Amino acid sequence: MTLPGPLFIAGLPLGMAVILQVLRRWTTPSAWLAAAAAGLTGALVAFLPLTEPFRLASFQLELGSPLIILGRELVVQPVDRLGLMFIFFTAAGLFIVAWRLMPHSNFFPVGLGMTALLASALLVQQVVYAALLVEMAALLAVFPLHETAGRTVGGVRYMAYTTLALPGLMITQLLLDLYASFPNDQGLLGTSAILLSLSFGILLGAVPFQTWLSAVATDGAPPVVTFLFTVNIGTVWFMLLAYLQSYAWLWQQAAFSSLITTVGLLMMTLGGLLAAAQQRLGRLVGYATLVDNGALLLALGSQQKAGLALAAMLLVARPLALGLMTLGLDGLRRLGEGNDDRQVLIGAAWRAPWRTGAFLVGGMALAGFPLSLGFAARWGLYRLVADTSFFQAMLALGGSAGVMMGLVSCVRALLTPAKRPTKPQPGLKEDRIVVILIILLIGATFILGFFPQLVSQLGIQMAEGYPFFAP
Amino acid sequence: MTPFVLWLSRLSSFAATPAVWGVFFAGAVIYLIAEWRIRLLALLGQYFALGLLFAHLFDTRPELALLKTLVGWLVCGALFLSARTREEATRGALHFHWAADLPFRIITLTVMVLVAYLAAQRYPLPFLTADLSAACFLLLVLAVLFIGTDGDAGVAGLGVLNLLSGLDLFYSAWDPGLLVTGLMVIVTLLAGLAISYLTVAEVAE
Repeated sequence: MTLPGPLFIAGLPLGMAVILQVLRRWTTPSAWLAAAAAGLTGALVAFLPLTEPFRLASFQLELGSPLIILGRELVVQPVDRLGLMFIFFTAAGLFIVAWRLMPHSNFFPVGLGMTALLASALLVQQVVYAALLVEMAALLAVFPLHETAGRTVGGVRYMAYTTLALPGLMITQLLLDLYASFPNDQGLLGTSAILLSLSFGILLGAVPFQTWLSAVATDGAPPVVTFLFTVNIGTVWFMLLAYLQSYAWLWQQAAFSSLITTVGLLMMTLGGLLAAAQQRLGRLVGYATLVDNGALLLALGSQQKAGLALAAMLLVARPLALGLMTLGLDGLRRLGEGNDDRQVLIGAAWRAPWRTGAFLVGGMALAGFPLSLGFAARWGLYRLVADTSFFQAMLALGGSAGVMMGLVSCVRALLTPAKRPTKPQPGLKEDRIVVILIILLIGATFILGFFPQLVSQLGIQMAEGYPFFAP
Repeated sequence: MTPFVLWLSRLSSFAATPAVWGVFFAGAVIYLIAEWRIRLLALLGQYFALGLLFAHLFDTRPELALLKTLVGWLVCGALFLSARTREEATRGALHFHWAADLPFRIITLTVMVLVAYLAAQRYPLPFLTADLSAACFLLLVLAVLFIGTDGDAGVAGLGVLNLLSGLDLFYSAWDPGLLVTGLMVIVTLLAGLAISYLTVAEVAE
């Protein structure tokens, strides 16, 4: 019996998610099984050939074979593989990061279920089904995001904004079908371009829809926030590339490229300004992500393969940077008893040096500061943009500088000795495993910063899959 | 077509215009009155009105309209349980009161409904009758109002449900296939669960 690849890609994480819901009480097996399921699926996508069947007990698994559900096709195409690998490997890494931070959490089963839905969104051919699958993943995200009691504005806003993006994507499908029947009606294409831009703008947190990013980062559990900012946004990014690939006319709309560049620059500038003025560490993470999303769009707007390769590098750098910030933010929030205002956390660096270090290094990497992978990608982006407009490159650099300023202000407060010596609290003792994770992530950040060619090759390979870009 | 389906089809086409008014009045009640029991009753009524509109749309398959209505009522049930838990946790007393900033809400509601009416006149949606088109625009503006003016999980969540209903109504006219219908039902149920969860989680603070 031959199993089609998409059945395995969606079925294995979903099946494991059901098992993990039962095992939720035991955090260590849950976390490691979730990581193993995601990692195994990612490895199969990475290493199995698309066309040759792979023997698995009495079954044969054929990765490139399509799965047809009620006439709709899910299929793994060569260009999808890097996107799927990114989703599954990032999810696996984040489950390990969350292992010590979220005991007895439903993040492991729900996160795995979300991963399966998002992977299916990349595999399905029609926009409408992809949009509905992304919506389902977003609705599921609300549960682990607000597992502990507190404000739920982030979850409400994320749910509302993702739903607001849904009509644009679904109606686009309708308009494209109409266009197939009436090819002379160019107005249909114009409307589709506007709706698609609007929907992807909302999903990527583009200005003026950026408020969900900061709200989620402020209220949500840090590992889940990182999951949303890497796996969910990564999926949206790969979906956007897939649509640009499928609907070449969209890219040929006169204003589309300049619109993407302008929105990207606006996101970087506004994100940098807001990050520089932040008092709360969580919000700083949100605005740093806004700047990074802007950099992705700016790279796309360059209309060059080099830009796309740089965007891939930025995307790969993000889980490392945000993973570190997550580990740091989680510990610092515990110190502040849920409050991450820098005034509350004055002197916290002396009580939680590893967490502060993780937050600092992660923030530097996300801001594109030297010695991190983010720097190599951002520097390449500034040079690429400067070729066409030096002013735009300076604006982009200003956005990154704003994030650094916000980070420096926060770290300065964390390093300032508290006026009254505080008694050590039991919860402040560093977990050794968390420290090891921090060291590993910092090591990986610096190694990839020193040797960015390890990732840039991957970026170039990905860019080759999208021929709508100029070389 | 069986006599029952024929009768239902006639009834739904006769009731389409009142059902659009029903959607509007239910939305206005949710927007203007802050008492959660009245809001949930209004939502229940809104799903009934939507059921009539779906019956008009699926004139040969009324079971799909019934399914949509039942799913809506199921969501209302989940929201009722959460709202009651929330009331017990906050020890809130039962009393009728208008929403805060009532004059502002009345003005925005009037303006937005006018916008929906004009949009339905100016841009009639493909595959839909005038009534259904008006209902879609109305649900869209109500969703924007709920999401835009209230940060509370209960009200913004109802905005999400309104948006999903409007989209469902519009898209079902074009593609009444089982897969889209099934996925929309799952999305609505998940949204209902997520809103219920957030309503309770907000209070646990």
